[in-house]
Amino acid sequence: MTRGALLRFGLLLAAIVALPLAVRPVVASEIWIFAIAGMALNLIFGYTGMLSFGQATFFGLAAYTAGLMMIHWHAPLLVVLAAGTVVGALAAAAIGYVCIQRVGTYFIMLTFGFNQMFFFIAYKWTAVTGGDDGLPGIPRPPLALGPLAIRLDSSLRYYVFVAAVFLLAFYAMKRIVDSPLGVIFQSIRENPGRAAAVGYDVKRYKWIAFTIAGGFTGFAGVLYSMMFGIVPLESISWIISGDIVFMVLIGGIGNLYGPLLGAAAFKWLSEAISVVWERWPLILGVALVLVVLFLRGGLVEAFRRLRDALGPRARPEPGAKLPVGIAAETEAGS
Amino acid sequence: MNISLLAGAVLNGMVTGMLYALMGVGLSLILGLLNIPNFAHGVLYALGAYVMISGAKAFGFLGGLLTAIVAVAMLGAAIEYFGVRRLYRVHPDYILLLSFGLSLILTESIILVWGPVGITFQPPALLTGAIDLGVTAYPKYRLVVMVVTTVLVLGCYLFVTRTRYGAIIRAGIEDKEMAAALGINIRRVFTLTFAAGTGLAGLGGALMSPVRGLLPTMGIDILPFAFVVVVLGGLGSLPGAILAGLLVGVVQSLMTAIWAPGADASVFALMTLGIIARPQGLLGQR
Amino acid sequence: MSDGALLRTERLTCDFGALRAVNRVSLDVRAGTLHSVIGPNGSGKTTLFNLMCGEIVPTDGRVYFEGRDVTGLPSHRLTHLGLARSFQRTNVFGKLTAYENVWAAAFARRTPGALGFLRRASEFSEVDEEARRILGEVGLAHKLTARAETLSHGQQRALEVGVTLASSPRLLLLDEPTQGLAPEATQQMTRLVQSLVGRYTILLIEHKMRIVMSISDRISVIAFGELIAEGTPDEVRDNRDVQRAYLGARR
Repeated sequence: MTRGALLRFGLLLAAIVALPLAVRPVVASEIWIFAIAGMALNLIFGYTGMLSFGQATFFGLAAYTAGLMMIHWHAPLLVVLAAGTVVGALAAAAIGYVCIQRVGTYFIMLTFGFNQMFFFIAYKWTAVTGGDDGLPGIPRPPLALGPLAIRLDSSLRYYVFVAAVFLLAFYAMKRIVDSPLGVIFQSIRENPGRAAAVGYDVKRYKWIAFTIAGGFTGFAGVLYSMMFGIVPLESISWIISGDIVFMVLIGGIGNLYGPLLGAAAFKWLSEAISVVWERWPLILGVALVLVVLFLRGGLVEAFRRLRDALGPRARPEPGAKLPVGIAAETEAGS
Repeated sequence: MNISLLAGAVLNGMVTGMLYALMGVGLSLILGLLNIPNFAHGVLYALGAYVMISGAKAFGFLGGLLTAIVAVAMLGAAIEYFGVRRLYRVHPDYILLLSFGLSLILTESIILVWGPVGITFQPPALLTGAIDLGVTAYPKYRLVVMVVTTVLVLGCYLFVTRTRYGAIIRAGIEDKEMAAALGINIRRVFTLTFAAGTGLAGLGGALMSPVRGLLPTMGIDILPFAFVVVVLGGLGSLPGAILAGLLVGVVQSLMTAIWAPGADASVFALMTLGIIARPQGLLGQR
Repeated sequence: MSDGALLRTERLTCDFGALRAVNRVSLDVRAGTLHSVIGPNGSGKTTLFNLMCGEIVPTDGRVYFEGRDVTGLPSHRLTHLGLARSFQRTNVFGKLTAYENVWAAAFARRTPGALGFLRRASEFSEVDEEARRILGEVGLAHKLTARAETLSHGQQRALEVGVTLASSPRLLLLDEPTQGLAPEATQQMTRLVQSLVGRYTILLIEHKMRIVMSISDRISVIAFGELIAEGTPDEVRDNRDVQRAYLGARR
């Protein structure tokens, strides 16, 4: 690993350890949960260039699935995590297949439309989902590793678990982005016509990206379902879809760490401000408008500008294996 | 279900349908010209309603309508001029995100100014009460709204397809650079079209306020349906938006009468089926 | 098709509504040759390329590659059959580095099975070597880590060709590779194209007559979407119809 990558990862570990000291463990857990969902959106938006305004579909479907499995079948923890991921991926595969037939605006509106459809179904199907009241009575099953059964009852214990699986998810996402898929996705974002001309079945790769993102988002949804003992209706509402978009944008799209910064900033701000002022979404809207107009690279760009202002950039080590993918942007000069 | 109920549902569907068509037409104009779905379209509809009732207190019903249209259209122009314009060269996704941020700001602002509680509004005395249509009795105001919105929608269609300025708009939609090269002040066309599209939304909100009442979330509530109308009708197609609007309105209304819980979901199911069966929309171009 | 025609079109036609952009063009490209397509601006040359490469579906007519009917196949399929094309307006991956641009194109032809995607991109040494080799060949070895959009016009045209070469094609369609290049860069590009002769079959669209006449084995002339003449450079140079097409009917 290059020095820069090592430093960033070190900061991440430090953040994980320090976070419950700065905010309540519940908020800290939410940050990593949404960081996972944010990374998923980043994969399809930042890397592949598809803006989805309906990620809550997969978040919510997985959350409800996990909740129902735990309530009715007392399913163990790892099983619901797997089930939620699969549900998210399958739903994304199906919905994605339809949406990907269109691009740009059309695509965005389709993802939004599907989100709304599932929202309304969840809203009205109170027998299964509890409707507006949410699905209550979700337990937090212990983590069963062989003979060990680690209880996760307290918020702090659950935070440790969430942080640990977040690191796993982060690693998985990093591997995906470092694999050839990372370059392929980006080439589709940059120039889908040329990507096709050099031999990539663009629709198929878009579908793959969308499905992978659905899986990650579902994974996050399962973690969310166990946060409060209840699956709220908003898990599947466009509000969460919008929140996830915010986080990725405010954090910095196209960068692996962007969604993490965004999730942290978003959750922390919403916690801090909502206590003081009920109209805090107004601040959020203003923040979004400012980022869109003046700082499209988000917090990552803000930090980069700060770093550049403070000193010259390190050159890539000569003879090092040439990085391929987004890492090249951050390491090499241009 | 008896015939009176059915007739009432169909009429409701047509009223809602023409409203959706109106929203769809405004959205379609903006979509066609700027290639972005205007996420703020819903909240501008809501704003139209709220400004209307405040304006009506001061200037009477028609005065309120006028205030609403002007206020929302001017806001739309300002949004285009100060915000959207800076993003043309960047990427359409960012314009969408801008509109999303604005929708949040404006929704919260509505709550700040008018409060979070729902408000009802009475139609002008002349138009209260119902007319007996034989098969059923139907509120006078709703019939008037249906007629007015139909006229507006048709008027927009004729304007865009038959007038010189409409041709300029269509030229701008087809090829901005070419239109600009031909000496058309394309920036002004954009601003005015954006203002017109948003003005239509505001007008829709203002007209519907006696029918549906006002809630701060009314904008967020109607936005997805406006999107469905545009997607189903075919992006950039005005007649498509009109047809789809009616279809969506009637389907939703009938479902509400037959099986209320499925009403909203059925609209999206309709959209899905439409996209699968005919990807370019009902009247869109391939 | 046993006559050595690597690419053959038969009465290839393309209508855009009422406008017939390409009108029943039939031509053969023989393996191992450099075959140029020339004609006045707007005569349909690029559209012809688009028809051959799956960017546009022809209204009528057929395209055969290595004897196989490939009419209407999408571009990504054609690339895997051995056909690659460069674009008149530079069409690369702007925010990716020159290295990544060529790497992406090279990898597309060496896509592993699903398990192969578990490896890091940097571990595909074959693709890495190929990318470096091609970038060296087009003269961009010193610009590996530069983002494509930051390259000069000449460097971008070179990258454009590089991306096309990375698809390891048998037939190379080059659309005005010297477009917009200053004299020295034009010479470099010409030398590059000449170095490709023999290793690839080349179909070249070019405007600069001196280049076309000096390096082509065969020339097809397109005017108003129609093939008006074809032959060796000498034959074409002396052809009346060609002169008329370029200079207008004067006498």
